[in-house]
Amino acid sequence: MVAERARENKRVLEVKNLKLHYLTSQGAVKAVDDISFCLNRGETLGIVGESGCGKTTTAVALMMMPSPPGKIVGGQIIIEGKDIVPMTETQIRKQIRWEKISMVFQGAMNCLTPVYTIGKQMMETLREHREMAKEEAIARIEKYLAYVGLSRDVLKRYPHELSGGMKQRIVIAMALFLEPKIILCDEPTTALDVVVQAQIINLLKDLKQQLDLSFIFITHDLATEAEVSDRLMVMYGGKIAEIGTNEQIYGKQGPMHPYTQRLLKATPLLHEKVEELAFIPGRPPDLLNPPKGCKFHDRCNVVMDRCKEEEPDLREVEPDHFVSCWRCRES
Amino acid sequence: MKLKDLKVSISEFWQEFRKVKSGLVGLAIFGFFLALLIFEPVLAPFSETNTRWRDISYWDDNPQSAYPIWVNFFSAKKYAESTLLENPEVKEEVFGTNRMVTYTFEYDYQYDIAPADLILKVEGSGVAMMDLTFTRPDGESVLLASSNLNMAEGGVNRISVDKGSKTEAYEFLGYFESRDNLRKFQRSSIKPAAILFAKAQENMLIEPEALKGKYTMQAALLLQRPSDIVRDVKLVIPGRVFGLLGTDAFKRDLFSGVLAGIKWALLIGLLTAVVSVMVGVIYGVISAYLGGWKDSLMQRIFEIFNSIPLLPVLIVMSAIFKPSIWNLILIMCIFYWTGSVKTVRSMGLQIKEETFIEATRALGASNFRIIFKHIIPLIIPYSFASMALFIPGAIVYEASISLLGLGDATIVTWGQILRDAYTGGAVINGLWWWVIPPGLMIAIMGMSFAFIGFALDKILHPKLRTR
Amino acid sequence: MSENIFEAKNLQKWFPVRRSITDLMKRRQSYVKAVDGVTFSIRRGEIFGLVGESGCGKTTTGKMLMKLLEPTGGQMLLDGQDVTHITAERLKTYRREVQMVFQDPYASMNPRFRIRDVLEEPLLIHKVGEDHQERLKMVARALTEVRLQPPEEYMERFPHMLSGGQRQRAATARSLILNPKFIVADEPVSMIDLSTRAEILHMMKQVQRELQLTYLYITHDLSTARYFTDTIAVMYLGRIVEMGDPDDVIDHPRHPYTMALIAAVCEPVSGKVNRIKDVPIKGEVPSAQNIPRGCRFHPRCLYAKEECWTQIEPELEIVEGRHWVACRRYKEI
Repeated sequence: MVAERARENKRVLEVKNLKLHYLTSQGAVKAVDDISFCLNRGETLGIVGESGCGKTTTAVALMMMPSPPGKIVGGQIIIEGKDIVPMTETQIRKQIRWEKISMVFQGAMNCLTPVYTIGKQMMETLREHREMAKEEAIARIEKYLAYVGLSRDVLKRYPHELSGGMKQRIVIAMALFLEPKIILCDEPTTALDVVVQAQIINLLKDLKQQLDLSFIFITHDLATEAEVSDRLMVMYGGKIAEIGTNEQIYGKQGPMHPYTQRLLKATPLLHEKVEELAFIPGRPPDLLNPPKGCKFHDRCNVVMDRCKEEEPDLREVEPDHFVSCWRCRES
Repeated sequence: MKLKDLKVSISEFWQEFRKVKSGLVGLAIFGFFLALLIFEPVLAPFSETNTRWRDISYWDDNPQSAYPIWVNFFSAKKYAESTLLENPEVKEEVFGTNRMVTYTFEYDYQYDIAPADLILKVEGSGVAMMDLTFTRPDGESVLLASSNLNMAEGGVNRISVDKGSKTEAYEFLGYFESRDNLRKFQRSSIKPAAILFAKAQENMLIEPEALKGKYTMQAALLLQRPSDIVRDVKLVIPGRVFGLLGTDAFKRDLFSGVLAGIKWALLIGLLTAVVSVMVGVIYGVISAYLGGWKDSLMQRIFEIFNSIPLLPVLIVMSAIFKPSIWNLILIMCIFYWTGSVKTVRSMGLQIKEETFIEATRALGASNFRIIFKHIIPLIIPYSFASMALFIPGAIVYEASISLLGLGDATIVTWGQILRDAYTGGAVINGLWWWVIPPGLMIAIMGMSFAFIGFALDKILHPKLRTR
Repeated sequence: MSENIFEAKNLQKWFPVRRSITDLMKRRQSYVKAVDGVTFSIRRGEIFGLVGESGCGKTTTGKMLMKLLEPTGGQMLLDGQDVTHITAERLKTYRREVQMVFQDPYASMNPRFRIRDVLEEPLLIHKVGEDHQERLKMVARALTEVRLQPPEEYMERFPHMLSGGQRQRAATARSLILNPKFIVADEPVSMIDLSTRAEILHMMKQVQRELQLTYLYITHDLSTARYFTDTIAVMYLGRIVEMGDPDDVIDHPRHPYTMALIAAVCEPVSGKVNRIKDVPIKGEVPSAQNIPRGCRFHPRCLYAKEECWTQIEPELEIVEGRHWVACRRYKEI
């Protein structure tokens, strides 16, 4: 009981049975279909999966910004004890978005308007949310620019004058300067070169420590995820296939869900000579008419009859390690 | 593109088009025009309008500047409608070698405002001596004409009461009208028909009251030789109202005229628009694709053409050259193509940068192939919208040229009708039915294509998102 | 038939930069030196990997090979013949011999064309095939080569009806249909899901073996390059800094840049979460308009000494066997 309470206090974000569907003329596309997970204080939770698995949709749902015809049709998102799903847009804009949780988008550097200087854009965003005197605002901006390793000269520049890495740092600074505690990063390094990527990842780790932040790091790249996340969540077909710690997934034992296992095998290693790289034949499921039973069953190499009929739920197979797979429960 | 593909894309397109109400309205109006065009031979009261618009003899039996027939719905005093009386009662009497044939027409007059004229048309050959007697319901009889008719074989003799019986009418008038009123008017200015149908009383010249009832017109023809034959006699009564759109000062049925104008408006509009847009698209895409100095050069040439105002050029060209409609269309095409070039060029520039164009070049495709097989097909949907929007302009240009008297006078276009209205003093004389219908037609047809064009534009506009 | 199907000798591509009026008056012209003297040979039947970050010139090199860009300096040889600048006629036959697979499989096909039309196009351009039927047979054969079966079903589809992997197969089929000798693959799997990547690479390797092709494989992903290529060349700011057998280069890198790249790559192993990664490099990539003096990597190199920026740029020299490096100080590092 005490342990349970202690664990609850550590949670900064809790998602329960979240469902986000895109209501198209041909029916509902179940982009995120009943997922539950939590984010603990000071940790990085990785969400990994391939195209169409629902990871970006999850991020969008957490920010309460589903683009029409998307709609959150069920579930709860609990931040600091309050469920934000029923809140109005105004409430979310004033209290939640960018205040408690902010986001670094995919291709974020393209979010900077080319016609205004960096300084102007950062000012505008900051003062949009807070009543601040100009000097105070500048001070805060410079403080966070320093955190991301940029000098104040950058304020006078236009986006096109800066490199991709610098722009990404600016976007990160903008996600931080209202001092939210939860940062969502959606493929923040995918468009960057590998050296810059390493630098940005180092930066994020440093910031996490210094500012006591909690991250959700979304990517399709298992290799990047390994170096960034304390805990990892694998999504497939709008559902969670597996949640585990870094050690449980990437350590000697290896993941338990067949999908995660094969995805890992499909990731090439730099320092080991791989003879045959594995792949998973077939395609991700159609989210408009998902297959019955486990979403992965048609591509699974250890499929059982039960998998085709019943959908497995997420169960704890060892402490902090959850899998939704019938096969895994047998063993 | 295979036929199957075409059918699929047309049905997909139709689904989208249906949603835009204004487009459907435009399409409906266009369909209406098309129907009128197809059924013109059946609908037009005067089937030879196209060829004989300027032939006075064709229109001779019509009243001049008559109101449209439906005006009678809106006025308390009913205008006499134009009538054709055929199949008169025929009586033939023989006096030795002479034959007297009497044709009697009965006319029931119930209108308030008298017809414009009474025209007897005699078909025959040889010579006849004719007496034309007009009998009114009040019993009065007027001998309108007593003359010799020379009938040519195959020809028609026209005896117009309005022209030929002024004296007789004046005499008749003299019996009833006051001296004062008579003095106010010249003999040549009176209208016999107005007198003949008015109540015989004082002031019948100034304020005629209609004498309603049965009238008879009797034509007695004396034929002396065996070769003198009368084949047919008709009585035409041109009224004060005629046809769906009335007549102009030259007695031409405006409904037929307006109907005839549809084909030219559509032709001018569609042909000019299609040719100009095609030229514009090809020019724009080539300019965009070639890039560099060639693009700049082509754009400068375009700017020269674009800066030249079309109307003055048309005026000058029409004044110098023979203004046939085809020349007009040609000149319009020469200057009109500039309209779509800029947008097409932007679209072309964008498409040019797409990877699949690079890939096609990597395969060894010639520039020609890339331009015509890859880029232009992506622009064609937008060009349809462009075409629709060009059409109203082309129609108005032609109308303007015709209005200025520089158009093609051999054909009937709405602009030509307006021109005649202008020179014929329609506005001054208040002949609104001469001016409004053609003008309205231009506006409506223009509007229908504008609606179609906007709807197309909305659906097909260059959101080149090919995904 | 020479052993090398392709040779580049000091290949250069400089793009002139638009000048201001003052520059024009002073007769100054600066260039973006995208490719600034690369020399390498590709053996017949091998997969040659060109690796580097964005802006290093690998794609530009690929495009020069494809003759989508004309070299501004240096020499290119195909099968021993000089193909640096060729006539339009020779270009036609060249295009049949050298083909390309692009990065974005969707963008590389006209979305309004069916797969059948996409694949028939090269045949029509080069007037191959007697009639429509024969051409369709060739299209079907090409689709079978890339394992899109049954071909008839795929021929009727539009690109947007295929998955990323399937589209890339179709794009590969298009590049194969003219029986080329040489294929330039520009990041062919970087936009494809991880689980399908290996499948596509596997197919490409099979096709290569069956049709005796040679590949130039351009990528920024060192890990995939190691798996797929027979020779690897690392490019930086328009030049090759290290080249050789992939295992050798990656396990025993000699150039500081290669070492930095390898250190920066993420690997799916546990235990790295709380560690700040040590990447032995400083600063940012300079603009290709202002290439540093001497060794162009020196401003970012942790081991640079005075000789690195005072003396002329180092050329590629053999370390041992099939391993070249362009660094003055590699022996000491």
